[in-house]
Amino acid sequence: MKQDGKLAYGFLLPASIIILGTVFYPIVKTFIYSLQRYKLTQPENKKFIGFQNYIEIFKSQDFQYAFFNTIIIMAVVIFIGFIFSIITAVILNSKIKISSLLTAAAVIPWALPPVVNGIVWKFIFYSDFGFMNKILFKLSLIQEPVKWLDGRYGTLLIIGLTVAWRVIPFCAVVFLANMQSIPKEIYEAAEVDGANEIKKFFNITMPLLMPSAAIVLTNLTMSGINVFDEIVALVGFRNLGQPLLIYNYTQTFSYMNFGYGSAVTYIIMIASGFFGYFYIRSLNKGGGAV
Amino acid sequence: MRAVCKKAGIIFIIMVFLIFTLGPILWCFIVSISPENEMFSSTVNFIPNNPTFQNYAMLLNINTAQGQIFIRGLVNSLKAVSVTLIIGLPISLMTAYALSRFKFKGREIIRGILLTTIVIPVFTTIIPLYAIFSDLNILDNIFWLSIVYVSSFLPMITWVISNYINGIPVELEEAAYLDGCGKVKAFLLIIIPNSLPIISAVILMMFLMTWNQYQIPLILASSLDTKPLSMVAAEFSSKDMIKYGMTAAAGILALLPPAAAAAIFRKSLIFGFTQGAVKG
Repeated sequence: MKQDGKLAYGFLLPASIIILGTVFYPIVKTFIYSLQRYKLTQPENKKFIGFQNYIEIFKSQDFQYAFFNTIIIMAVVIFIGFIFSIITAVILNSKIKISSLLTAAAVIPWALPPVVNGIVWKFIFYSDFGFMNKILFKLSLIQEPVKWLDGRYGTLLIIGLTVAWRVIPFCAVVFLANMQSIPKEIYEAAEVDGANEIKKFFNITMPLLMPSAAIVLTNLTMSGINVFDEIVALVGFRNLGQPLLIYNYTQTFSYMNFGYGSAVTYIIMIASGFFGYFYIRSLNKGGGAV
Repeated sequence: MRAVCKKAGIIFIIMVFLIFTLGPILWCFIVSISPENEMFSSTVNFIPNNPTFQNYAMLLNINTAQGQIFIRGLVNSLKAVSVTLIIGLPISLMTAYALSRFKFKGREIIRGILLTTIVIPVFTTIIPLYAIFSDLNILDNIFWLSIVYVSSFLPMITWVISNYINGIPVELEEAAYLDGCGKVKAFLLIIIPNSLPIISAVILMMFLMTWNQYQIPLILASSLDTKPLSMVAAEFSSKDMIKYGMTAAAGILALLPPAAAAAIFRKSLIFGFTQGAVKG
């Protein structure tokens, strides 16, 4: 048995080296950077300054602006994502001949590179020849093209929609697995009592979906916080409607302010760690369809 | 009459569903085959009168400037996928096996750390990684880029495989131990052959996740010789938006491999992800 233990550590060694070297060491390092005045443009001016960066961040108008942008995107992703993943799951769950083909169609958005997803949606909302404007022209609802991505809230809404569209399939699959695990007997009993489809959905399916709802909600939340690629493709690194991750990137890699950027990173990490905790808990508990 | 109505209702729902899931991609494809003058003309045609595949021909032709960048990106993406799989797959199998089948001190702690690492987003490690890579002179290096990919997928992939191995009956290995088989042999001869469904699922998952990377290579490997296809497509989008048809074509070509793989192997994909997300 003793030898067994040694062998186990042997099996774990390669993964440990990689994780320690590229995840844990950098996380500690990020914290150290965050307590320093550290600009890559002035390397000789590196100095320990305590929590000065954090104080500066909380005072910064730009940070607050980015913070609220992230909250809005998150809310849109959760709202659209939750409703449409349940609808998608119900459709995929229906016993029709082509449901396998529908699943094939449904997983495609999931597989898209997020940055390409941004490009795809840019063509929908492009003001000159975007799909939306063409439709609205065709229906004679507008005379001038709508500039969808020129305002703050329009941009945030479209970003949220774009991200939700990509993550809906995954969430739908989680719901679907949960739905398929609900015993048929429960529905049959309800039918005997004269329940119709809608009643069955709200009184049986919905309450029994609670375990997977936890996974879906945390997943949507994390996707909302972590948006980056889609935004770069949709609007680039501009200030208008800029959420936290883009703010963090420009501070760090455009202004080369590593100390300040690291502190921003830590703040976002703690915020998303808060949600991540619930995710881990639901994973460890075994989530839904067991 | 009611049956007809119901059928019409179902067909309507399916149509709406397909428009929402595939419509945006279809539009991107239409843009990619539309000649410039038709797209901007005041007529509001949706389908071009004279579709052209010229943008695709240019992107896939090594003799054009765009084609060179594009094919370079394609090769870089494939290289990164290969390295990530060759390194990531054996390591995650080994780690999962140890966590599922060995009893040793600190197992629960390691499991906990692994789970925590799943939710650590890449941007929290990228600043020092950039500094380290820069110091060691390994920026713009596909091998080291792939190591970072491996580190970001490893926890999740290991978790998925470990859940699967937990479901393999221990009796198979116990019989082998009686025949004098050791743990290493049991891993190679029993666990791996019995894990083929999950192995193919995680290969697919790792392929998708590597192919779709953008932020990590943007920071760590943005040179022409290393940047992946996703970055090339994004650059067409930001710099060459005037050439919208080219951008759309680049987008379609970049999404084709992962989209096709996911649609064809959908069962495997769903199996893999639910193994990680739903069962514990």
